Amino acid sequence: MTDRRATLLVARREASERLRQRSFQISTGVTLLIVAAVAVLGGVLGGGGPDRYQVGAHGAEAAAIAAAAQAAAPAFDARLEVRRYRDEASARAAVRDEEVDAVVLASGTVLMLDEPPTELERALQAGGRQVRAGRALRSEGLSAPEARRALDPPPLPVRALDSEGDEDERRGVAYTASLLLYLQLIVYGLWVATGVVEEKSSRVVEVLLATVRPRALLAGKVLGIGLLGLGQLLLIGVVGLGLALASGAIELDGTTLGTLAVVLVWFLFGYALYASLYATGGVLVSRQEDVQSSTTPLTVMLVVAYLLAFPTLDDPASGLARIASLVPFTAPIVMPTRLALGEASVPEAALSLALLAASVALIVPFAARIYDRAVLRMGKPVKLREAWRAAR
Amino acid sequence: MLELDDLARRYGDTVALDGLSMAIPAGEVVGFVGPNGAGKTTAMRIALGVLEPDRGEVRWRDQPVTRDVQRGFGYMPEERGLYPKMRVDRHLRYLAALHGRPPADAKRAAGRWIERLGLGERSEQRVEELSLGNQQRVQLAAALAHDPEVLILDEPFSGLDPIGAEVMSEVLFERAKAGAAVVFSSHQLELVERICERVSIVDDGRIVASGRVEELRTARSEPRLRVELEGASDGWLDGVPGARRAGGDGRAVLVELHGGADDQQLLDAARRAGRVVSFAPARPTLAELFREVVGR
Repeated sequence: MTDRRATLLVARREASERLRQRSFQISTGVTLLIVAAVAVLGGVLGGGGPDRYQVGAHGAEAAAIAAAAQAAAPAFDARLEVRRYRDEASARAAVRDEEVDAVVLASGTVLMLDEPPTELERALQAGGRQVRAGRALRSEGLSAPEARRALDPPPLPVRALDSEGDEDERRGVAYTASLLLYLQLIVYGLWVATGVVEEKSSRVVEVLLATVRPRALLAGKVLGIGLLGLGQLLLIGVVGLGLALASGAIELDGTTLGTLAVVLVWFLFGYALYASLYATGGVLVSRQEDVQSSTTPLTVMLVVAYLLAFPTLDDPASGLARIASLVPFTAPIVMPTRLALGEASVPEAALSLALLAASVALIVPFAARIYDRAVLRMGKPVKLREAWRAAR
Repeated sequence: MLELDDLARRYGDTVALDGLSMAIPAGEVVGFVGPNGAGKTTAMRIALGVLEPDRGEVRWRDQPVTRDVQRGFGYMPEERGLYPKMRVDRHLRYLAALHGRPPADAKRAAGRWIERLGLGERSEQRVEELSLGNQQRVQLAAALAHDPEVLILDEPFSGLDPIGAEVMSEVLFERAKAGAAVVFSSHQLELVERICERVSIVDDGRIVASGRVEELRTARSEPRLRVELEGASDGWLDGVPGARRAGGDGRAVLVELHGGADDQQLLDAARRAGRVVSFAPARPTLAELFREVVGR
């Protein structure tokens, strides 16, 4: 049996045993609920998405007005759907039965159950103006296309000095990305540490080491837990984005999908870095009670990285944000935040990833050696330096 | 035959093994005894490849072992270890797979040992839900689940009730009969004496006595006799040349004969002193041998 096969066996156990844990299933469910709530609430409270209305029409001109109103609606942040009715009675009935929000009658009267929402009324009025003005223009001798051109000049171009896109939306996505990365790195990092200690404290490690090389055992653990973390992140990302899209809190475009991809890539490298370090923190102690203190520096580092996301959200181009997005220990959270805000250049992102990958390449052999030397040391915590020097 | 040849290992300033050599023939059960800290666990860990020796070599079938060969060994560490949250059946299958068994094989082997060790009803329970005795059985199954040719067990009998100990020794014999080389360490010397054909006694990191238990017991330089007398006065032994009192209890005296002294002379002296109830060669127990060679 090769090391690779052993690593895969270990990884499969790590992932499948955790998937089976009730606590994991519940926490994933709760996270999904929270993400869903945020995504849906964002749509409802933020008013980010257009409201939808059903509009009925009876008669040819009414239908033309409704169609014009439908075309004009996006300008008022509304969306209309139009239905035609054969006679006035059924059109009136449709309003009463709340089948539609409003009907335009052949007479030109707009009928509603109660006070109309402003954007709906504005859209209908705009439609009415356009149809009636068009008729007036045509009676003055203009052709239909001429009348349309006169009534529908190209909109004035609007350019904001401050930003290009919908800033709030981007900030929302960027913040969510930083929070998810922080949680995912700290939770899965700690899982690696406690998983290592579990094997030491239950002494099963000695049984395992009689058949698996320490490095393969460590690699399998990090890989298994990491794949689980990646899968969970992907699930949360897809569900969250899906719901946010459905509720209209955000719009799907290249940026949003790009952000999801960025989050996954930086998670992968960030996890490789932190998981190796957390494994080191775990292997130096023999009891679960000691994990907390032996991993404190790492947890502090992650909290700092997370806290740096806030000034980054305020000013993603500041010197602090730039540096933090390059330093490998903070980059896994800060760089995706900047990228989600659309405020980091491609070379910057590439440099950040290269530095991160280089530090992973340095840390992994270090962690493997410490693990190798300390994994059978039971009892009081082992000092890092001592573990480094010890013989196997 | 599993051979440990001239193994040495230190931990910092502490010498754990100092040129330890021993052999475990295939098809036999070898007892490995010695005081605490003598180096038993270190030797076993090196045999399994869990630890690297500073010097020396481990050979199986006359070839230096490789990691792949060691992977086929079965091991029961002194500190029992299993994943507390894993279910028995899955756990055994996992370990068998790590030892290189294909999935179907691992499943069959796990099922077989679960039945053999009477864990049938427990196979879907988590390890932590089992009694300590049953956890021990799972631990044994874990060492056996891949049908190892070499079985190394560190204190397998500690913590077992008499029934568990019976099952354990049966299984060890079975494996040996099937051709495996079996070695286990223990502090229960009477048990070792009963189970093992061979024994190796280790002290301070080296073997101080080794061989068939019978041979070790008879190969003493000074023969002893146990004499039980009725109505004898205390000094009766004084006049017998070469005889020395080496112990005794109640009416019985343990006599050691030095310098080729004649046991018939001793018998005559005994008959003169009183009524001889019993007169028999006293072969030392393993415990006595142990005290003698370890010297404390």
